[in-house]
Amino acid sequence: MKVNNWHMKIVDSAMRLDSMETDGAVPSMLDEMDRFGIACAVVAPADAAVAVHNVAGNLQMVDLVTRYRGRLFGLAVANPWFGRDAVHAIEGAFARGLCGLFLHPRRQGFRLTESIVQPLLETCRRHRKPVYSSTGTPVCAEPFQLAELARQFPEIPFVMGHAGYSDFWYDVVPALKQASNLMLETSCQVAGVIDGAINVVGAERVLYGSGWPRSSPAVEIQKIERMNLGAAALRRVMRENAMKLWGIRP
Amino acid sequence: MNLIDAHTHLPGRSFGGKPRPIADLRREFANAGLCGAWIFTTDGLVMEAEKNNNILAEAVRGDRDFFEPFGTVNPHAGEDAAIRELERMRFELGMRGLKLHPWLQGFSLTHPSVKPILQRAGEMGLPVLFHDGTPPYSHPLQIAAVAEQVPSTMVILGHAGLDEAYEDAILACRRHPNLFLCLCGPSCGPLAEIVRRCPVDRLLFGSDGGFGSRVIETAIAKFHAAGLSQKTLQTIGCENPRRLVPKQPRRTDPPAQTHQHET
Repeated sequence: MKVNNWHMKIVDSAMRLDSMETDGAVPSMLDEMDRFGIACAVVAPADAAVAVHNVAGNLQMVDLVTRYRGRLFGLAVANPWFGRDAVHAIEGAFARGLCGLFLHPRRQGFRLTESIVQPLLETCRRHRKPVYSSTGTPVCAEPFQLAELARQFPEIPFVMGHAGYSDFWYDVVPALKQASNLMLETSCQVAGVIDGAINVVGAERVLYGSGWPRSSPAVEIQKIERMNLGAAALRRVMRENAMKLWGIRP
Repeated sequence: MNLIDAHTHLPGRSFGGKPRPIADLRREFANAGLCGAWIFTTDGLVMEAEKNNNILAEAVRGDRDFFEPFGTVNPHAGEDAAIRELERMRFELGMRGLKLHPWLQGFSLTHPSVKPILQRAGEMGLPVLFHDGTPPYSHPLQIAAVAEQVPSTMVILGHAGLDEAYEDAILACRRHPNLFLCLCGPSCGPLAEIVRRCPVDRLLFGSDGGFGSRVIETAIAKFHAAGLSQKTLQTIGCENPRRLVPKQPRRTDPPAQTHQHET
Protein backbone atom coordinates (compact mmCIF):
# COMPACT_ATOMS: atom_id res chain seq x y z
CA MET A 1 0.00 0.00 0.00
CA LYS A 2 1.43 3.32 -1.03
CA VAL A 3 1.34 6.36 1.18
CA ASN A 4 0.78 8.38 -1.95
CA ASN A 5 -2.73 6.97 -2.08
CA TRP A 6 -3.35 9.19 0.92
CA HIS A 7 -2.78 12.27 -1.12
CA MET A 8 -3.59 15.38 0.94
CA LYS A 9 -4.54 13.27 3.94
CA ILE A 10 -1.25 12.86 5.79
CA VAL A 11 -0.90 14.45 9.20
CA ASP A 12 2.72 15.31 9.99
CA SER A 13 3.52 15.44 13.71
CA ALA A 14 7.07 16.76 13.42
CA MET A 15 7.67 19.94 11.48
CA ARG A 16 9.56 22.92 12.82
CA LEU A 17 10.19 26.48 11.87
CA ASP A 18 13.84 26.79 10.95
CA SER A 19 14.02 30.42 12.03
CA MET A 20 11.87 33.05 13.69
CA GLU A 21 11.67 34.83 10.33
CA THR A 22 8.42 33.19 9.33
CA ASP A 23 8.25 34.87 5.98
CA GLY A 24 11.18 32.70 4.99
CA ALA A 25 10.25 29.48 6.74
CA VAL A 26 6.52 29.10 6.27
CA PRO A 27 6.22 29.28 2.48
CA SER A 28 8.88 26.61 2.04
CA MET A 29 7.14 24.49 4.70
CA LEU A 30 3.78 24.79 2.92
CA ASP A 31 5.43 24.00 -0.42
CA GLU A 32 6.91 20.88 1.06
CA MET A 33 3.52 19.87 2.46
CA ASP A 34 1.85 20.42 -0.91
CA ARG A 35 4.49 18.40 -2.76
CA PHE A 36 4.01 15.37 -0.57
CA GLY A 37 0.31 15.40 0.19
CA ILE A 38 0.54 16.49 3.79
CA ALA A 39 -2.87 17.77 4.78
CA CYS A 40 -1.76 19.38 7.98
CA ALA A 41 1.23 19.56 10.27
CA VAL A 42 1.92 19.99 13.94
CA VAL A 43 4.66 22.60 14.01
CA ALA A 44 7.14 23.48 16.73
CA PRO A 45 8.85 26.87 17.04
CA ALA A 46 12.38 27.62 15.92
CA ASP A 47 15.44 27.05 18.11
CA ALA A 48 15.70 30.64 19.34
CA ALA A 49 12.09 30.54 20.49
CA VAL A 50 12.58 27.15 22.09
CA ALA A 51 15.64 28.21 24.06
CA VAL A 52 15.06 31.86 24.93
CA HIS A 53 12.25 33.77 23.23
CA ASN A 54 9.45 31.54 24.48
CA VAL A 55 6.62 34.05 24.58
CA ALA A 56 7.47 35.52 21.20
CA GLY A 57 7.72 32.01 19.79
CA ASN A 58 4.33 31.02 21.17
CA LEU A 59 2.70 34.17 19.81
CA GLN A 60 4.26 33.40 16.46
CA MET A 61 2.74 29.92 16.54
CA VAL A 62 -0.67 31.32 17.51
CA ASP A 63 -0.45 33.70 14.56
CA LEU A 64 0.41 30.88 12.17
CA VAL A 65 -2.34 28.64 13.46
CA THR A 66 -4.81 31.49 12.98
CA ARG A 67 -3.58 32.34 9.49
CA TYR A 68 -3.43 28.74 8.30
CA ARG A 69 -6.39 27.35 10.19
CA GLY A 70 -6.79 23.62 9.67
CA ARG A 71 -3.44 23.40 7.91
CA LEU A 72 -0.96 24.21 10.67
CA PHE A 73 -1.28 23.35 14.34
CA GLY A 74 1.19 24.66 16.85
CA LEU A 75 3.11 23.42 19.85
CA ALA A 76 3.91 25.67 22.77
CA VAL A 77 7.39 26.14 24.18
CA ALA A 78 8.79 27.25 27.49
CA ASN A 79 12.28 26.74 28.80
CA PRO A 80 11.89 25.01 32.18
CA TRP A 81 14.65 27.17 33.62
CA PHE A 82 12.29 30.14 33.50
CA GLY A 83 10.30 28.54 36.32
CA ARG A 84 6.98 30.23 37.03
CA ASP A 85 7.30 32.35 33.90
CA ALA A 86 7.56 29.17 31.89
CA VAL A 87 4.33 27.87 33.37
CA HIS A 88 2.59 31.16 32.56
CA ALA A 89 3.97 31.02 29.03
CA ILE A 90 2.46 27.66 28.22
CA GLU A 91 -0.81 28.39 30.02
CA GLY A 92 -1.20 31.44 27.81
CA ALA A 93 -0.28 29.44 24.73
CA PHE A 94 -2.76 26.66 25.49
CA ALA A 95 -5.48 29.24 26.09
CA ARG A 96 -4.79 30.58 22.58
CA GLY A 97 -5.18 27.17 20.99
CA LEU A 98 -1.74 25.56 20.83
CA CYS A 99 -2.15 21.81 21.01
CA GLY A 100 0.74 20.52 23.11
CA LEU A 101 4.11 21.20 24.68
CA PHE A 102 7.40 20.91 22.79
CA LEU A 103 10.51 20.06 24.80
CA HIS A 104 14.03 20.13 23.44
CA PRO A 105 16.37 19.26 26.33
CA ARG A 106 19.56 19.81 24.32
CA ARG A 107 18.53 23.30 23.23
CA GLN A 108 16.94 24.17 26.56
CA GLY A 109 19.77 22.85 28.71
CA PHE A 110 18.14 20.37 31.04
CA ARG A 111 17.82 16.63 31.55
CA LEU A 112 14.36 15.21 31.01
CA THR A 113 14.42 13.75 34.51
CA GLU A 114 15.39 17.00 36.25
CA SER A 115 12.84 18.34 38.66
CA ILE A 116 12.64 21.71 36.90
CA VAL A 117 10.47 20.22 34.16
CA GLN A 118 7.84 18.97 36.62
CA PRO A 119 5.81 22.23 36.86
CA LEU A 120 5.43 22.25 33.08
CA LEU A 121 4.21 18.67 33.12
CA GLU A 122 1.76 19.43 35.91
CA THR A 123 0.42 22.21 33.70
CA CYS A 124 0.06 19.84 30.76
CA ARG A 125 -1.78 17.40 32.98
CA ARG A 126 -4.21 20.11 34.11
CA HIS A 127 -4.82 21.23 30.53
CA ARG A 128 -4.85 17.68 29.11
CA LYS A 129 -2.13 18.47 26.60
CA PRO A 130 0.36 16.00 25.09
CA VAL A 131 4.12 16.48 25.40
CA TYR A 132 6.51 16.01 22.49
CA SER A 133 10.19 15.74 23.31
CA SER A 134 13.12 15.47 20.96
CA THR A 135 15.10 12.36 21.91
CA GLY A 136 18.45 10.87 20.99
CA THR A 137 20.84 13.18 22.80
CA PRO A 138 22.93 11.35 25.38
CA VAL A 139 22.55 12.31 29.03
CA CYS A 140 19.67 14.71 28.53
CA ALA A 141 17.13 13.26 26.07
CA GLU A 142 17.21 9.50 26.14
CA PRO A 143 14.24 7.17 25.49
CA PHE A 144 14.29 5.74 29.00
CA GLN A 145 14.33 9.24 30.52
CA LEU A 146 11.17 10.08 28.60
CA ALA A 147 9.66 6.74 29.61
CA GLU A 148 10.37 7.65 33.23
CA LEU A 149 8.37 10.86 32.84
CA ALA A 150 5.61 8.94 31.12
CA ARG A 151 5.42 6.63 34.11
CA GLN A 152 5.32 9.56 36.51
CA PHE A 153 2.52 11.23 34.53
CA PRO A 154 0.39 8.39 33.15
CA GLU A 155 -2.43 10.83 32.28
CA ILE A 156 -0.23 12.70 29.80
CA PRO A 157 0.50 11.28 26.35
CA PHE A 158 4.22 11.67 25.59
CA VAL A 159 5.81 11.51 22.14
CA MET A 160 9.34 10.18 21.64
CA GLY A 161 10.47 12.62 18.96
CA HIS A 162 12.89 11.26 16.32
CA ALA A 163 12.67 7.84 17.98
CA GLY A 164 15.96 8.18 19.82
CA TYR A 165 17.91 8.84 16.64
CA SER A 166 20.64 7.97 16.20
CA ASP A 167 22.26 5.55 18.56
CA PHE A 168 19.52 5.02 21.11
CA TRP A 169 17.76 2.73 18.65
CA TYR A 170 18.23 -0.21 21.01
CA ASP A 171 16.31 1.53 23.80
CA VAL A 172 13.27 2.48 21.74
CA VAL A 173 11.13 -0.64 22.12
CA PRO A 174 12.09 -1.35 25.76
CA ALA A 175 11.20 2.25 26.64
CA LEU A 176 7.87 2.04 24.81
CA LYS A 177 7.07 -1.13 26.71
CA GLN A 178 7.55 0.68 30.01
CA ALA A 179 4.71 3.15 29.50
CA SER A 180 1.57 2.72 27.43
CA ASN A 181 1.15 6.52 27.29
CA LEU A 182 4.43 6.86 25.38
CA MET A 183 4.19 7.13 21.60
CA LEU A 184 6.82 7.03 18.89
CA GLU A 185 7.42 9.68 16.22
CA THR A 186 9.11 8.27 13.14
CA SER A 187 11.43 10.91 11.69
CA CYS A 188 15.18 10.42 11.24
CA GLN A 189 15.31 6.94 12.77
CA VAL A 190 15.94 3.97 10.48
CA ALA A 191 12.99 1.96 9.20
CA GLY A 192 13.94 -1.23 11.00
CA VAL A 193 13.54 0.43 14.38
CA ILE A 194 10.14 1.86 13.47
CA ASP A 195 8.59 -1.30 12.13
CA GLY A 196 10.21 -3.23 14.96
CA ALA A 197 8.31 -0.99 17.35
CA ILE A 198 5.08 -1.41 15.40
CA ASN A 199 5.47 -5.16 15.63
CA VAL A 200 5.83 -5.02 19.41
CA VAL A 201 3.60 -2.18 20.62
CA GLY A 202 1.25 -1.81 17.66
CA ALA A 203 0.66 0.82 14.99
CA GLU A 204 -1.67 2.74 17.29
CA ARG A 205 1.36 4.04 19.20
CA VAL A 206 3.31 5.34 16.22
CA LEU A 207 3.01 8.79 14.60
CA TYR A 208 4.37 9.79 11.23
CA GLY A 209 6.68 12.80 11.30
CA SER A 210 8.86 14.26 8.58
CA GLY A 211 11.28 16.01 10.92
CA TRP A 212 11.38 18.86 8.38
CA PRO A 213 13.69 20.74 7.92
CA ARG A 214 16.15 18.41 9.64
CA SER A 215 14.84 15.59 7.49
CA SER A 216 12.42 15.59 4.58
CA PRO A 217 9.03 14.15 3.64
CA ALA A 218 10.73 12.75 0.53
CA VAL A 219 12.87 10.53 2.73
CA GLU A 220 10.42 9.88 5.52
CA ILE A 221 7.37 8.95 3.44
CA GLN A 222 9.42 6.57 1.33
CA LYS A 223 10.68 5.01 4.55
CA ILE A 224 7.14 4.29 5.73
CA GLU A 225 6.07 3.03 2.30
CA ARG A 226 8.83 0.44 2.27
CA MET A 227 7.51 -1.05 5.51
CA ASN A 228 4.58 -2.58 3.64
CA LEU A 229 2.18 -1.91 6.47
CA GLY A 230 -1.41 -3.00 6.03
CA ALA A 231 -4.01 -0.40 5.12
CA ALA A 232 -5.35 -0.01 8.65
CA ALA A 233 -1.90 0.34 10.21
CA LEU A 234 -0.83 2.83 7.56
CA ARG A 235 -3.94 4.90 8.17
CA ARG A 236 -3.22 4.99 11.87
CA VAL A 237 0.44 5.91 11.50
CA MET A 238 0.02 8.49 8.77
CA ARG A 239 -3.10 10.20 10.04
CA GLU A 240 -5.47 8.85 12.64
CA ASN A 241 -3.15 8.54 15.62
CA ALA A 242 -2.04 12.15 15.21
CA MET A 243 -5.59 13.46 14.91
CA LYS A 244 -6.58 11.67 18.08
CA LEU A 245 -3.46 12.59 20.03
CA TRP A 246 -3.37 16.28 19.17
CA GLY A 247 -7.13 16.67 19.02
CA ILE A 248 -7.01 18.09 15.52
CA ARG A 249 -8.96 17.75 12.32
CA PRO A 250 -7.51 18.91 8.99
CA MET B 1 24.58 7.21 -10.99
CA ASN B 2 27.13 4.58 -9.99
CA LEU B 3 27.58 4.86 -6.27
CA ILE B 4 30.29 3.33 -4.15
CA ASP B 5 29.07 2.85 -0.61
CA ALA B 6 31.91 3.58 1.81
CA HIS B 7 30.11 2.18 4.85
CA THR B 8 28.59 -1.29 4.78
CA HIS B 9 28.79 -4.31 7.05
CA LEU B 10 28.93 -8.05 6.67
CA PRO B 11 26.08 -9.19 8.90
CA GLY B 12 27.02 -11.63 11.62
CA ARG B 13 25.53 -13.05 14.77
CA SER B 14 25.98 -9.96 16.91
CA PHE B 15 23.03 -7.62 17.52
CA GLY B 16 20.62 -10.49 17.04
CA GLY B 17 21.56 -10.83 13.39
CA LYS B 18 22.47 -13.81 11.28
CA PRO B 19 25.11 -14.25 8.60
CA ARG B 20 24.05 -13.81 4.98
CA PRO B 21 25.66 -15.18 1.83
CA ILE B 22 27.81 -12.58 0.12
CA ALA B 23 25.97 -13.24 -3.15
CA ASP B 24 22.73 -12.07 -1.51
CA LEU B 25 24.39 -8.93 -0.23
CA ARG B 26 25.94 -8.16 -3.59
CA ARG B 27 22.60 -8.60 -5.34
CA GLU B 28 20.87 -6.42 -2.76
CA PHE B 29 23.51 -3.70 -3.00
CA ALA B 30 23.51 -3.71 -6.79
CA ASN B 31 19.70 -3.61 -6.90
CA ALA B 32 19.80 -0.59 -4.63
CA GLY B 33 22.06 1.22 -7.11
CA LEU B 34 25.57 0.53 -5.87
CA CYS B 35 28.50 -0.37 -8.11
CA GLY B 36 30.82 -1.17 -5.24
CA ALA B 37 31.11 -1.12 -1.47
CA TRP B 38 33.61 -0.90 1.32
CA ILE B 39 32.57 -3.67 3.68
CA PHE B 40 33.41 -4.13 7.35
CA THR B 41 33.03 -6.94 9.78
CA THR B 42 30.21 -6.64 12.31
CA ASP B 43 31.05 -9.48 14.67
CA GLY B 44 34.74 -8.55 14.67
CA LEU B 45 33.93 -5.24 16.30
CA VAL B 46 32.59 -6.97 19.38
CA MET B 47 34.67 -10.18 19.53
CA GLU B 48 37.58 -12.07 17.99
CA ALA B 49 38.93 -9.54 15.53
CA GLU B 50 41.39 -11.93 13.88
CA LYS B 51 38.86 -14.69 13.33
CA ASN B 52 36.33 -12.26 11.92
CA ASN B 53 38.92 -10.64 9.65
CA ASN B 54 39.45 -14.12 8.20
CA ILE B 55 35.70 -14.61 7.81
CA LEU B 56 35.31 -11.30 6.01
CA ALA B 57 38.26 -11.92 3.70
CA GLU B 58 36.96 -15.36 2.82
CA ALA B 59 33.43 -14.08 2.27
CA VAL B 60 34.45 -11.51 -0.34
CA ARG B 61 37.22 -13.60 -1.89
CA GLY B 62 35.34 -14.14 -5.16
CA ASP B 63 33.74 -10.68 -5.24
CA ARG B 64 36.71 -8.39 -4.97
CA ASP B 65 35.57 -6.55 -8.10
CA PHE B 66 32.68 -5.22 -5.99
CA PHE B 67 33.70 -5.33 -2.33
CA GLU B 68 36.69 -3.62 -0.72
CA PRO B 69 37.09 -5.26 2.71
CA PHE B 70 38.18 -3.31 5.78
CA GLY B 71 39.52 -5.35 8.67
CA THR B 72 39.73 -4.40 12.30
CA VAL B 73 42.10 -4.68 15.23
CA ASN B 74 41.50 -4.07 18.90
CA PRO B 75 43.80 -1.55 20.58
CA HIS B 76 43.28 -3.37 23.87
CA ALA B 77 45.29 -6.24 22.40
CA GLY B 78 48.30 -3.99 22.85
CA GLU B 79 50.38 -2.11 20.33
CA ASP B 80 52.52 -5.03 19.13
CA ALA B 81 49.69 -7.52 18.76
CA ALA B 82 47.39 -4.99 17.13
CA ILE B 83 50.00 -3.96 14.60
CA ARG B 84 50.84 -7.61 13.86
CA GLU B 85 47.18 -8.20 13.03
CA LEU B 86 47.04 -4.99 11.03
CA GLU B 87 49.97 -6.16 8.89
CA ARG B 88 48.53 -9.66 8.56
CA MET B 89 45.15 -8.42 7.44
CA ARG B 90 46.78 -6.12 4.93
CA PHE B 91 49.40 -8.42 3.46
CA GLU B 92 47.89 -11.85 3.92
CA LEU B 93 44.20 -11.08 3.66
CA GLY B 94 44.36 -8.17 1.25
CA MET B 95 42.28 -5.77 3.36
CA ARG B 96 41.99 -2.29 1.87
CA GLY B 97 41.35 -0.32 5.03
CA LEU B 98 40.99 -0.41 8.80
CA LYS B 99 37.68 -0.02 10.60
CA LEU B 100 37.70 0.99 14.27
CA HIS B 101 34.69 1.36 16.52
CA PRO B 102 35.71 2.96 19.83
CA TRP B 103 32.22 2.58 21.24
CA LEU B 104 31.77 -1.14 20.54
CA GLN B 105 35.44 -1.98 21.02
CA GLY B 106 35.51 -0.02 24.25
CA PHE B 107 38.63 2.08 23.84
CA SER B 108 39.37 5.74 24.23
CA LEU B 109 41.19 7.58 21.47
CA THR B 110 43.81 8.35 24.10
CA HIS B 111 44.66 4.64 24.46
CA PRO B 112 48.43 4.40 23.90
CA SER B 113 48.03 1.86 21.08
CA VAL B 114 45.79 4.03 18.94
CA LYS B 115 48.34 6.44 17.50
CA PRO B 116 50.88 3.71 16.55
CA ILE B 117 48.09 1.71 14.88
CA LEU B 118 47.01 4.72 12.86
CA GLN B 119 50.60 5.56 12.01
CA ARG B 120 51.25 2.06 10.70
CA ALA B 121 47.98 2.00 8.78
CA GLY B 122 49.05 5.18 7.04
CA GLU B 123 52.44 3.74 6.19
CA MET B 124 50.72 0.79 4.53
CA GLY B 125 48.32 3.01 2.62
CA LEU B 126 45.25 1.93 4.55
CA PRO B 127 42.58 4.54 5.27
CA VAL B 128 41.14 4.27 8.77
CA LEU B 129 37.39 4.61 9.14
CA PHE B 130 36.00 5.25 12.63
CA HIS B 131 32.53 4.94 13.98
CA ASP B 132 31.74 8.39 15.31
CA GLY B 133 28.99 10.58 16.68
CA THR B 134 28.46 8.84 20.02
CA PRO B 135 30.04 9.78 23.32
CA PRO B 136 32.09 9.19 25.33
CA TYR B 137 34.66 7.56 23.01
CA SER B 138 33.56 8.41 19.49
CA HIS B 139 33.04 12.11 19.16
CA PRO B 140 34.40 13.88 16.09
CA LEU B 141 36.87 16.12 17.87
CA GLN B 142 38.29 13.19 19.85
CA ILE B 143 39.04 11.40 16.60
CA ALA B 144 40.29 14.60 15.00
CA ALA B 145 42.78 15.06 17.83
CA VAL B 146 44.42 11.75 16.90
CA ALA B 147 44.15 12.42 13.18
CA GLU B 148 46.14 15.60 13.72
CA GLN B 149 49.00 13.51 15.13
CA VAL B 150 49.15 11.21 12.09
CA PRO B 151 48.92 13.61 9.15
CA SER B 152 49.95 10.97 6.61
CA THR B 153 47.07 8.68 7.54
CA MET B 154 43.70 9.22 5.92
CA VAL B 155 41.14 9.23 8.73
CA ILE B 156 37.42 8.99 8.04
CA LEU B 157 34.59 9.88 10.41
CA GLY B 158 32.26 7.05 9.43
CA HIS B 159 29.07 8.92 10.36
CA ALA B 160 30.10 12.58 9.94
CA GLY B 161 29.10 13.20 13.54
CA LEU B 162 25.54 11.95 13.09
CA ASP B 163 22.77 14.47 13.76
CA GLU B 164 23.97 15.46 17.21
CA ALA B 165 27.61 16.27 16.42
CA TYR B 166 27.77 16.99 12.70
CA GLU B 167 28.81 20.58 13.35
CA ASP B 168 31.90 19.31 15.18
CA ALA B 169 32.58 17.01 12.25
CA ILE B 170 32.44 19.99 9.91
CA LEU B 171 34.97 21.87 12.05
CA ALA B 172 37.24 18.84 12.14
CA CYS B 173 37.04 18.31 8.39
CA ARG B 174 37.81 21.93 7.64
CA ARG B 175 40.80 21.97 9.99
CA HIS B 176 42.51 18.68 9.15
CA PRO B 177 43.39 17.91 5.52
CA ASN B 178 43.71 14.17 6.26
CA LEU B 179 40.20 13.95 7.70
CA PHE B 180 37.26 12.77 5.58
CA LEU B 181 33.55 12.56 6.38
CA CYS B 182 31.40 9.60 5.38
CA LEU B 183 27.85 10.89 5.11
CA CYS B 184 26.31 7.78 6.64
CA GLY B 185 23.71 8.80 9.16
CA PRO B 186 23.12 12.55 9.14
CA SER B 187 19.59 13.53 8.13
CA CYS B 188 19.24 15.44 4.89
CA GLY B 189 19.25 18.90 6.50
CA PRO B 190 22.59 18.37 8.26
CA LEU B 191 23.83 16.52 5.20
CA ALA B 192 23.21 19.52 2.96
CA GLU B 193 25.00 21.77 5.45
CA ILE B 194 28.02 19.45 5.58
CA VAL B 195 28.30 19.48 1.80
CA ARG B 196 27.94 23.26 1.74
CA ARG B 197 30.66 23.88 4.34
CA CYS B 198 33.24 21.13 3.76
CA PRO B 199 35.67 20.46 0.91
CA VAL B 200 33.65 18.19 -1.35
CA ASP B 201 36.72 16.13 -2.23
CA ARG B 202 36.79 14.88 1.36
CA LEU B 203 33.24 13.59 1.56
CA LEU B 204 32.03 10.04 0.98
CA PHE B 205 28.67 8.37 0.49
CA GLY B 206 27.73 5.70 3.02
CA SER B 207 24.63 3.86 4.19
CA ASP B 208 25.36 1.21 6.87
CA GLY B 209 24.14 -1.27 4.24
CA GLY B 210 24.10 -4.90 5.14
CA PHE B 211 21.40 -4.38 7.73
CA GLY B 212 18.63 -4.53 5.13
CA SER B 213 18.16 -3.01 1.68
CA ARG B 214 16.03 -0.18 3.07
CA VAL B 215 18.99 1.51 4.69
CA ILE B 216 20.69 1.97 1.32
CA GLU B 217 17.48 3.23 -0.29
CA THR B 218 17.02 5.70 2.54
CA ALA B 219 20.62 6.88 2.31
CA ILE B 220 20.25 7.52 -1.42
CA ALA B 221 16.92 9.26 -0.84
CA LYS B 222 18.59 11.58 1.67
CA PHE B 223 21.20 12.57 -0.89
CA HIS B 224 18.53 13.41 -3.43
CA ALA B 225 16.41 15.25 -0.85
CA ALA B 226 19.45 17.31 0.12
CA GLY B 227 19.39 18.76 -3.38
CA LEU B 228 22.97 17.92 -4.35
CA SER B 229 24.04 18.44 -7.95
CA GLN B 230 24.92 15.49 -10.15
CA LYS B 231 28.51 16.67 -10.20
CA THR B 232 28.66 16.71 -6.41
CA LEU B 233 27.05 13.29 -6.24
CA GLN B 234 29.59 11.96 -8.71
CA THR B 235 32.48 13.38 -6.69
CA ILE B 236 31.20 12.12 -3.34
CA GLY B 237 29.73 8.83 -4.49
CA CYS B 238 32.37 7.69 -6.92
CA GLU B 239 35.54 9.74 -7.37
CA ASN B 240 36.44 10.21 -3.70
CA PRO B 241 36.16 6.57 -2.63
CA ARG B 242 38.11 5.51 -5.71
CA ARG B 243 40.85 7.97 -4.82
CA LEU B 244 41.11 6.66 -1.26
CA VAL B 245 40.83 3.00 -2.23
CA PRO B 246 41.88 2.64 -5.86
CA LYS B 247 40.44 -0.22 -7.81
CA GLN B 248 42.85 -3.14 -8.08
CA PRO B 249 43.22 -5.49 -11.02
CA ARG B 250 40.76 -8.32 -10.55
CA ARG B 251 42.23 -11.30 -8.81
CA THR B 252 40.71 -14.34 -7.21
CA ASP B 253 43.20 -14.57 -4.40
CA PRO B 254 44.33 -11.88 -2.02
CA PRO B 255 47.77 -10.39 -2.73
CA ALA B 256 50.66 -12.55 -1.68
CA GLN B 257 53.25 -9.83 -1.04
CA THR B 258 55.17 -9.64 2.17
CA HIS B 259 55.07 -6.40 4.06
CA GLN B 260 58.67 -5.61 3.11
CA HIS B 261 57.44 -5.09 -0.45
CA GLU B 262 54.93 -2.54 0.66
CA THR B 263 56.91 -0.49 3.10
